[in-house]
Amino acid sequence: MAARTRLPLLFPKNLPPFRNQRLAHTEAAVKEPAYPPIIPSLTAKSKSARGRQVDEQVQKICASPVEEKISLITRIQRMKFVVYPQTFARNADTWYQHFTKTAYIPGLPEKYTLSPERDTGGEEEQPAAAQTTVPGVGHDGFTEIRSLVTRVILQEHWQLRNRAPFLYRKQEQTVGPFLRNLVTGLSFSLAKYNPLFLSSSLDIDPNVHFYWRRGQTIIPKGHRRGRQEPTRFQIDDRPNSQIRITEQLPQFISLEDSYAAEVQEVTLSPSVMPLFRRQYDNNMFTGAKLPDPACYGHTQFHLVPDRYHRDRMARLQQSDQVEVFLRANALTSLFAWTGAQAMYQGFWNHEDVTRPFVSQAVITDGKFFSFFCYQLNTVALSVETDANNPRKNLLWGTESLQLYDSVQDGEVVGLNDDVLKLLVQFLMNKQ
Amino acid sequence: MFPETAQCLKAAAPLFSQTVLLKDLSRLSTHGGGSHLQARRHLSISRCLTSKVRPVRTPRERVEIPGLEAVTYGEKMHYVPGLSKPFHPQWERSYKDPGHYRAPPAHEMPLFKDRSCFVFNQRTSALEGVLQALWLTKTKLISSLPPQLLSLSENPANQIPDQDERVQNAIKHARFWDTTEERPGKERYSNTMMVNLLHLCATLQSSHPAIGRRTQAEKCSLATTWRRGEDLFQIRGQNGLLHTCMDPLPEVSGKQEVSDTADHVLETFYPVSPTINLQKVNVYKEEMNCSGFRDDYPYPHAHTLFFLEGADANCKLRPDQFRAKMLMFTFGNALVRAQKLYGPQRVLDRPVTVQAVGTNGRIFQFMVFQLNTTDLSGDDGIKNQVWLDEDVELYDFAKVRPLIQRKQVKVPAGLAGYKPEAFSKFLSLYLHGAV
Repeated sequence: MAARTRLPLLFPKNLPPFRNQRLAHTEAAVKEPAYPPIIPSLTAKSKSARGRQVDEQVQKICASPVEEKISLITRIQRMKFVVYPQTFARNADTWYQHFTKTAYIPGLPEKYTLSPERDTGGEEEQPAAAQTTVPGVGHDGFTEIRSLVTRVILQEHWQLRNRAPFLYRKQEQTVGPFLRNLVTGLSFSLAKYNPLFLSSSLDIDPNVHFYWRRGQTIIPKGHRRGRQEPTRFQIDDRPNSQIRITEQLPQFISLEDSYAAEVQEVTLSPSVMPLFRRQYDNNMFTGAKLPDPACYGHTQFHLVPDRYHRDRMARLQQSDQVEVFLRANALTSLFAWTGAQAMYQGFWNHEDVTRPFVSQAVITDGKFFSFFCYQLNTVALSVETDANNPRKNLLWGTESLQLYDSVQDGEVVGLNDDVLKLLVQFLMNKQ
Repeated sequence: MFPETAQCLKAAAPLFSQTVLLKDLSRLSTHGGGSHLQARRHLSISRCLTSKVRPVRTPRERVEIPGLEAVTYGEKMHYVPGLSKPFHPQWERSYKDPGHYRAPPAHEMPLFKDRSCFVFNQRTSALEGVLQALWLTKTKLISSLPPQLLSLSENPANQIPDQDERVQNAIKHARFWDTTEERPGKERYSNTMMVNLLHLCATLQSSHPAIGRRTQAEKCSLATTWRRGEDLFQIRGQNGLLHTCMDPLPEVSGKQEVSDTADHVLETFYPVSPTINLQKVNVYKEEMNCSGFRDDYPYPHAHTLFFLEGADANCKLRPDQFRAKMLMFTFGNALVRAQKLYGPQRVLDRPVTVQAVGTNGRIFQFMVFQLNTTDLSGDDGIKNQVWLDEDVELYDFAKVRPLIQRKQVKVPAGLAGYKPEAFSKFLSLYLHGAV
């Protein structure tokens, strides 16, 4: 037939030429692969097999419920560095910033305005009561709180009799109960202004634990010598008291704004700090187990023990380390707490947080108060996940501020209203 | 004693039996020494245990005869047979060293008194329990809480929103969720339970501002004295958790009931003396009256005392003895307040009321004490009153693993058998005086 008609030599497929125009805008039909994809073996003795095993484990963890996730992540015990929030090491805050990928910002976020110091005489004369009020709490409320705090201070230091403190246990025996009374009194009187406290949970002497991996080292000795091993860290903290709430606190700044912050890098090995390694149960704990409804944190209160009291540090000529100690304490305690909160919501190393976790801390030695705010933006700190992670965690903090000068003859001398205002503002933080 | 010592002694027992030892001792002990009927104990583990027990020889009495002084070997500086042992007077330090201090015997102390005093402290375990405490404090017992208190928590305005659920969460937190291990220990969970329940009650402060006029204090030392018959009694010790208030508690029973108590006869438990198990001291400060705070304390009125059974690890009190301790300390706090306000030894126009709650983590004891009189010397007259609700269970079981017997689940895991009445009584005691 091709010889009789004038057809071209090569028989085109689409004849007539416009027949297949209705198929011009559709995609080509997907052809099902005849063979399964080529992936590395699971059991071979090769690096790709090991990589596939790790991937399978990661996917297994991602697919399981939260309780199983925690137990799968913390199942295997290996030697890990135990990070102590209250440590004697010098310049501990730079080290801890590197371990937890936290940037320190001096001062507090814009939410908490710290008014400049004024004399008490000037304050009373000025009729505008703007300086002595906190937004949300009226002037009367603030005077009530002021008198409550005065009474609590007096109760502990003046009224209570027959208690000669042991050597080096003065903080534990006098300031500990004072702090507990202060926290309970303040949280209940502020409950009418901050409805979060009505459903909150107050823990006395709780445990907070967190376990994470960051960086890697070469194994120096043993049958695995020369290979890379991730460095593991564990924090075991015991704050004096903490308030846990049922709803999350709002973020201070957005995740993207944290990209600009700088974290100090430390190239030395953690054992130089000095930090020591031990092997025991890897725990992740906010203060209560998973089924507790109050799973988010509000504020922690820490006590400076006698060993790190500023008078003793002055005797040892280490007065510059006082602020460093407070910063390091706040950093680790809050990182552990927010990290554990994120873990309870199912976020871990390979599943980074989708919303920032925020908590606050107040560290005191009875007279000097320091306030810290922490925003956890990332938990992906291990080598595989940190390579392209621009997010950083943020810590805001103040220097230590004096609440009162002294207690004389049944009177509190020099009660600082600004510090009190800041404390009230901290506790008033809500949705 | 260490377990190794006990084991060594048990192993050594057949080596020398008690009977052989006693016979030896009775033969060896002469008329001079005292009777050594009890075997001396070998409390060291490193010594040989099979040696013969050497009898204790009391040193010979030294007799001083003024005309005849003994010739001693003191000047020779070495022992000489035949000369007597030199006598050296006891050396006393000229300075005060707190590390080496020997207390003088009781009769040489400056506070020594001939008349002994019976002291009730926080480790006293009274034999007759509540009966003994009632006799000592001249109190009449009523076995249930006063009805006006119980009606406080039935009023819906005084209830916490979602009360049952929140109390159950509080119990679960104290019993299960407070630790990384499977379950927290008894001391920890009873303390956490108390703190959690108080936290729940205190959230009512926004609707009941009078609760803001209270504060809490731990470890304040109580000391008070009273006379009963010919004996002097004192209460000393640390209270446990104490809630104090700016305003006094209202009285629970009216004047008619108070005067009716004069007909009540106190129960005695002859032949047991009412002072049994109380610590008898001859060195004490008379007229001790101290509540633990200074006089200008802004919260002087004791509101509620909280006792935990496991607070003292060395002292395990049985339930009756625990209730007796609660009663005595509540009475002590009330007496201190009354003596400060009205002075000693009289019938009070305005009775002083103090409450107490005791628990072991599951079972609660509620007590309301009303002090009507500080005149406690005689057995007749107006008595004080106590309303005691004992052994109120908050829940039946809080088990981490279910109890399975013969392949049937007898008690499920988790909290089982929650009873809301216990918490309503707790809440009504808390709100008393604030509503």
